[in-house]
Amino acid sequence: MQNAKDSFYMALRTRLATVNPERTILLRGAVRPGIIVEEAEAPMSQLPSDVFVLRWLGLGTDAELPATMAGEQCEIIYQTCGTQSFGGLDRGRALSEMDEELLTTIEPYHTPKINYEATPPATMLTQVFWDEPSFAPIAIQRDRLSRTATVMVYSYQEQGE
Amino acid sequence: MPATWFQAPAPVARRVRAYFAPVNRSAQMPVLFDPAQQGRFSLDAPPAPWISLGWIQAFVRKPLSKSTPLLTGIPAAPLEQVRETLEAQVSCEFLSWTKLTMALATGSQHMNVLTAASGAAPSGDGAQAVPAVTPQSGSNATLILLASSDAAKFQAGSIVAVDVDNTGQTGYVGSPVSGAYVRQAITDVDYIRRVTFNVALVSAVSNSGLTLAEPLPGGAPGAGAKVQAVAGFVDREGGSFYQEWSALFVMEGSQGERIFFHYPRLQSAAGAEETVMPLNSKHQNGQSRVTLNGRFIALPVSDPLDNERVACYRSFLPAANALV
Repeated sequence: MQNAKDSFYMALRTRLATVNPERTILLRGAVRPGIIVEEAEAPMSQLPSDVFVLRWLGLGTDAELPATMAGEQCEIIYQTCGTQSFGGLDRGRALSEMDEELLTTIEPYHTPKINYEATPPATMLTQVFWDEPSFAPIAIQRDRLSRTATVMVYSYQEQGE
Repeated sequence: MPATWFQAPAPVARRVRAYFAPVNRSAQMPVLFDPAQQGRFSLDAPPAPWISLGWIQAFVRKPLSKSTPLLTGIPAAPLEQVRETLEAQVSCEFLSWTKLTMALATGSQHMNVLTAASGAAPSGDGAQAVPAVTPQSGSNATLILLASSDAAKFQAGSIVAVDVDNTGQTGYVGSPVSGAYVRQAITDVDYIRRVTFNVALVSAVSNSGLTLAEPLPGGAPGAGAKVQAVAGFVDREGGSFYQEWSALFVMEGSQGERIFFHYPRLQSAAGAEETVMPLNSKHQNGQSRVTLNGRFIALPVSDPLDNERVACYRSFLPAANALV
């Protein structure tokens, strides 16, 4: 199932770099597209702003199929305080911009499954696919607006996984 | 050694796409879909002459063919079976309201409401229309060249219908899709433009003519064709005409596999009907989406391969590397 999670993340990361190349994050000395996986980073007391954070939660499987299907619940959390140049008064616009970026990035709703543990990464035989995101209401914490979108990501277990 | 195949479970598909192609009603010639040559087409750009009808929902196929056993012996026992009747029905909800989807989802003629002439007497199908204008030579499917005085009669954002004058023709009328069957000559000179499917949105107007936002289904205006502004569309419950079309429904699975349901001849089997769905299920009286219901009966064609009479082809293109 890790291959499906990696493939989903890398698909979104690659697409985001095209949709908005300016959304980046400086992490461990490297500038990367502004989307990270929470469980693959050092624990943080406060999630970074203006960045998409993927958090993996639930897992369900259906083994009564020729290939076991796994459904993994992914929360995509993003927040913003707006920009300094507008004194944060554009925080609503900034969050809307992130809503639209996520909607654009998440389509098409599938990507090839790739084993990123191999060098070079090896394309596997099946596709990882997912549903439309379901958006939660905006959460307001002082001048910070945040939202969570939930996506169910499905994949088939292949031989050797 | 890396795996080179996988056992594919049942396809998982999100939605169904529908495509339309005109049937030549006079010759009873449907358009055939070839899964071998056309199966991997881009769903957003179907091969000609197929036209996308957009996404549909509540797609239901009902094979209603009946078989009956041939009994023999005492006591009687089935010796073999024979197909007694050949029948199939399809129903779906169209998620967009366009000329095509409205026309297909109604049981009879579907008409363009032509822009009315000033002072014309009211009529249920649209009053007497502003006279049509003649396109100039050099026009094509997306550009209609007109005299500047004629071009000035149209506005960007309006809809136009392009077809020939009614001069008392009988039989199937309208191009490229038969929009009606005329039993007795009709006097309205605009009747064929009222029923034609050859309509498009005007995106820009210049002194030299009209630029269309989408190509005319019938291509470049033919000889004798004229252009008339359309205000909207109208259909009626009743009438004797049945729309007929070649239909293709596509389900694309999560692994890239495709299921095609190809009905060479589908005819409307019900009158105009809509479904109203609240956008918010917790607010039943709030904003609601109105979808067009279509119910169709499949008519048979003779398959040239073996001369069998069939009503539908179901094709399946498996996912890459999937065991079959």
